[in-house]
Amino acid sequence: MIEARNITRTYRTHGAFTGPRTVHALRGVDFTLPKGGAVSFIGESGCGKTTLGKILTGLETFDGGELVVDGTELSGLSPRRRAPYFRRIQMVHQDPYSALNPTRTVGQILGDPLRMRAKETGASRREQEDRAAELLELVGLQPDGVLGKYPHQLSGGQRQRVVIARALTVDPEVLIADEAVSMIDVSMRLGILSLLRDLRERLGISLLFITHDVATARYVGEGGELHVIYRGQVIERGPTDRVIQAPVHPYTQCLLSAIPVLRGIEEPGPDRLVPLASLDERTDTPGCLFAPRCPFATDACTAERPALVRLGDGAGGADDPGGADGAAGAGDAGDHRHACLHPEARHVVAVEAAV
Amino acid sequence: MTETLQTPAATEDRSAEVSVRDLTVVYRTDRGELPAVSRAGIELRAGEITGLVGESGSGKSTLALSLLNAVPAPGRIASGSVEVAGVGDVTKLEGKRLRRVRGGALGYVFQASQNSLNPLKTVGKQLLDLGRSHEVEDLQGLVRRARELAERMGLDADRVLDSYQHELSGGMRQRVGIVLALVLNARVLILDEPTTALDMISQAAVLDIVRAVHRENNLATLIVTHDMGVVSEVADRLAVMYGGRIVEHGPALEVLQRPSHPYTRALIGATARIVGDTTRARALPGRPPDLTTLATTGCVFRDRCPLASAVCEEEDPALVEWTPGRYRACHADPTGDRP
Amino acid sequence: MTVTATTPAAAVPARPRTGRRAPWASALRVLVRKPGRIVGLAILVFFALMGVFGPYLYPGDLAVDPEAIYAPPSAQHWLGTDFAGSDVLQELVVGARYVLLTAAVAALATVVIGTTVGLVAGYHRGLADSALMRATDFVLTIPGLPLLIVLSTLWSFGQPLQMGLVLGVTGWGGVARAVRSQTLSLRERGFLEAARGLGLPTRHVIVRELLPNIAPFVAMNLLLAVIQFIGAEVALFFLGVVPFSSSNWGVMLNQAVFSGGVMNSPEALTYLLAPLVCILLITLGIVLFLDAIDELFNPRLRERS
Ligand SMILES: Nc1ncnc2c1ncn2[C@@H]1O[C@H](COP(=O)(O)OP(=O)(O)OP(=O)(O)O)[C@@H](O)[C@H]1O
Ligand SMILES: Nc1ncnc2c1ncn2[C@@H]1O[C@H](COP(=O)(O)OP(=O)(O)OP(=O)(O)O)[C@@H](O)[C@H]1O
Ligand code: SF4
Ligand code: SF4
Ligand SMILES: [Mg+2]
Ligand SMILES: [Mg+2]
Repeated sequence: MIEARNITRTYRTHGAFTGPRTVHALRGVDFTLPKGGAVSFIGESGCGKTTLGKILTGLETFDGGELVVDGTELSGLSPRRRAPYFRRIQMVHQDPYSALNPTRTVGQILGDPLRMRAKETGASRREQEDRAAELLELVGLQPDGVLGKYPHQLSGGQRQRVVIARALTVDPEVLIADEAVSMIDVSMRLGILSLLRDLRERLGISLLFITHDVATARYVGEGGELHVIYRGQVIERGPTDRVIQAPVHPYTQCLLSAIPVLRGIEEPGPDRLVPLASLDERTDTPGCLFAPRCPFATDACTAERPALVRLGDGAGGADDPGGADGAAGAGDAGDHRHACLHPEARHVVAVEAAV
Repeated sequence: MTETLQTPAATEDRSAEVSVRDLTVVYRTDRGELPAVSRAGIELRAGEITGLVGESGSGKSTLALSLLNAVPAPGRIASGSVEVAGVGDVTKLEGKRLRRVRGGALGYVFQASQNSLNPLKTVGKQLLDLGRSHEVEDLQGLVRRARELAERMGLDADRVLDSYQHELSGGMRQRVGIVLALVLNARVLILDEPTTALDMISQAAVLDIVRAVHRENNLATLIVTHDMGVVSEVADRLAVMYGGRIVEHGPALEVLQRPSHPYTRALIGATARIVGDTTRARALPGRPPDLTTLATTGCVFRDRCPLASAVCEEEDPALVEWTPGRYRACHADPTGDRP
Repeated sequence: MTVTATTPAAAVPARPRTGRRAPWASALRVLVRKPGRIVGLAILVFFALMGVFGPYLYPGDLAVDPEAIYAPPSAQHWLGTDFAGSDVLQELVVGARYVLLTAAVAALATVVIGTTVGLVAGYHRGLADSALMRATDFVLTIPGLPLLIVLSTLWSFGQPLQMGLVLGVTGWGGVARAVRSQTLSLRERGFLEAARGLGLPTRHVIVRELLPNIAPFVAMNLLLAVIQFIGAEVALFFLGVVPFSSSNWGVMLNQAVFSGGVMNSPEALTYLLAPLVCILLITLGIVLFLDAIDELFNPRLRERS
């Protein structure tokens, strides 16, 4: 189980043209990922999704908050002591083309981490080889067919399966899938998604699913939670289907409205919403981060930044801003939170057409 | 199946701006010349958006590029014709006349065009270069028109013209690509994967713009994509491509509602959707073919087809009009039953 | 927690670990793909053999035949003789070892040091990077030629090893910089992030993941460095900056011009041309062979066909 409490990450850049600039990639993100659970993060490009994934896998540092893995707070540990915890959290990269070393065969790609792992478990050479074959079968590949192949000899979908098999070599408890299907052929996306769902159901692996295509978040299995992130802040969260069907934050509503409607099979939702402007990171927003683009913004919105509160607790009632009450509410249909002063449920996603 | 046509007959009153007939495009590889597009036919009419969908490697970009006779080496158009209204057969053009058609009558927005702007020149400078290379006399007028188009697309025209590529977001670059494609008064707009690298909100904005400029200028638009959602949002007609062939073609709504080719059906079934039962959706079995693994006899889809039968092994199905206005290339029954 | 297979791994026959072709077989295929590559390789092998076995072909000292000074090519002296009546072919063959060994040692030292420094600096970044790059900048500013002149007053450079090492140790700056920038760009690639995320040891990441990806670049630098060092070393001898202690191509050139008076006796032309042609041939061989490097190291290009 991993728990993130109020994680912040700020980048300070000195562009040659732009001059010094501060980017708040994450502004206090909380979530709890129980064993076998799934949390999806959705949001526009540049809202901090990848940064979060990298922090959780130890590839990026965070400058505030706390990361707790199986009850251990990581920031108190030395980098060396932290490593075993981060090993339990593995990343599935967005781009299966660059995620595999082009000069090594699938056998070698799986063999290296297995050999390293064998030093801890004492597995023999033979057992390591069996394990490689077993993992390939688990992810739906024919071991004999792919062990000797180089990445370029595989299709995008096969490559992504190899990437997942490689992550499984070190027996992780959590997989972080950052846009894991967006670069894969349409015809094979669902295959990868159902593989991720299987890993959750059968092996109890937890999944942190990062995407800008909300529809795919529905395919990673039951009991998932959806977090909508905007400019580094989680502005709405709740059970996946609930947030999709009855979002209350205008940003979520805009995001969901933008999903293309499969005309002929689906009809547009009744309350579709379009943001007033496109994202401009440079505008200073002391109040609600979404205010410059929000069709429902009021004066109050620009004055005060709303915190994440439970739906029904009343606008501005910031009695539980962190939402860090742990696993208790993870799958609870009632635990729907938002950061908006004027929340109102709207139906924006498509509905199935009557045939 | 009485008539075997390669091209939908131009029976409707809308005039065809581009008509492609029997087009075959080959790439030279280590194993000889292999076809990436085989005997394809398609028509683009004014006022109509045609969507071209298919998996990666199905030949969509190759087909789109042949409309400009711009297939890059080692590819070449092996046979067939591309008639453009007022220009003639583009496959016969060469040199200066060909260059004038490209970007002139035919506006093209390249795949990954977010990255196809020159990083060392401002957008305005590139606009002037474009004008000069097409021998535009009135450069002032050109800039004025670009400004109008840019404003129309919700861009701050002055800022954009003065910007370098890296100063613009992905969605803005895509819009700039469309401005440059249309600024010379193109009548045909070809967009190759215009939204692939964009997030949902930018995608929706770009599609809105495509729809609007298309209507305002009465263009003939071709939009190439692998995303069923994108075509269904904008397209009037839908052509589905597999293994270099157009396997189904017809009015978009009808094709989406009642797909008649097993591949179209599978592609729709493999789309992640925001409503409906998630357990009903299925990925396609097998992997998409490339030039070297493509079947040379029989139907190219048969390895992955749930309806394949003996005849599919031997005979390559031709694209036929099975009901008025709808075309398919399959031996099986259009409703999805076995033959 | 352990992941278990869901499909019983039954009926899995002893599986071949890899289904690759033997590396030398695919290397051979790459070479025969274009005739130029074979020619290039043949030239390089020819000179390598000359360097290794040359001196054994002509044991003993150079025979001096005062009767035949500047003799034209003949059956007895294929390339004629020099100002002292020694056989030019013999000098050429015997002199090859010094030149080639020096260049090889120098190139190897350059590439090994440069690649190591570049990899470590690029991969670790931070403090190690700044320190190593400071060192690199320092090496880049060492003026090679004057240093050799100074050192030659201390050492005679009779041994190719010494000269090669001096050339190599002062010449790795450029390679280090280039390798570092390649490493920096590879560092953010998915497979390297994955290797770090899996907790693979740093040495493994550098040697197994990074190195193979810059191998073609390193090999190319190695070969180009050979050309560069042959030129540098021959130039040093030709100019007479370094005292002669043994016969080699640079010495031959020097003597052809300064002692032999090639300028006014056309018979001596072969004496001048022989080493020059050899150097040109080696350069040609390397250039022809370079074409195959990318394919040799890149499995995607290698297996094409
Ligand atoms: N190393 C860095 N230095 C400076 N700024 C950075 C760095 N990494 C990320 N950022 C900035 O932080 C913000 C969040 O970036 P991130 O990559 O996490 O977004 P994302 O949600 O993954 O976007 P996308 O959907 O485009 O992948 C962006 O504004 C980005 O420019
Ligand atoms: N320059 C080339 N040389 C050889 N084969 C090529 C070349 N360009 C494309 N091909 C092959 O031609 C086929 C069609 O390619 P094309 O780019 O038209 O596909 P696409 O449908 O646009 O795919 P994508 O969705 O990936 O853009 C593919 O199998 C591809 O491998
Ligand atoms: S707080 Fe105000 S500006 Fe922000 S999303 Fe809610 S209504 Fe819009
Ligand atoms: S022709 Fe046969 S194999 Fe091809 S799509 Fe139709 S039924 Fe399937
Ligand atoms: Mg990202
Ligand atoms: Mg394409």
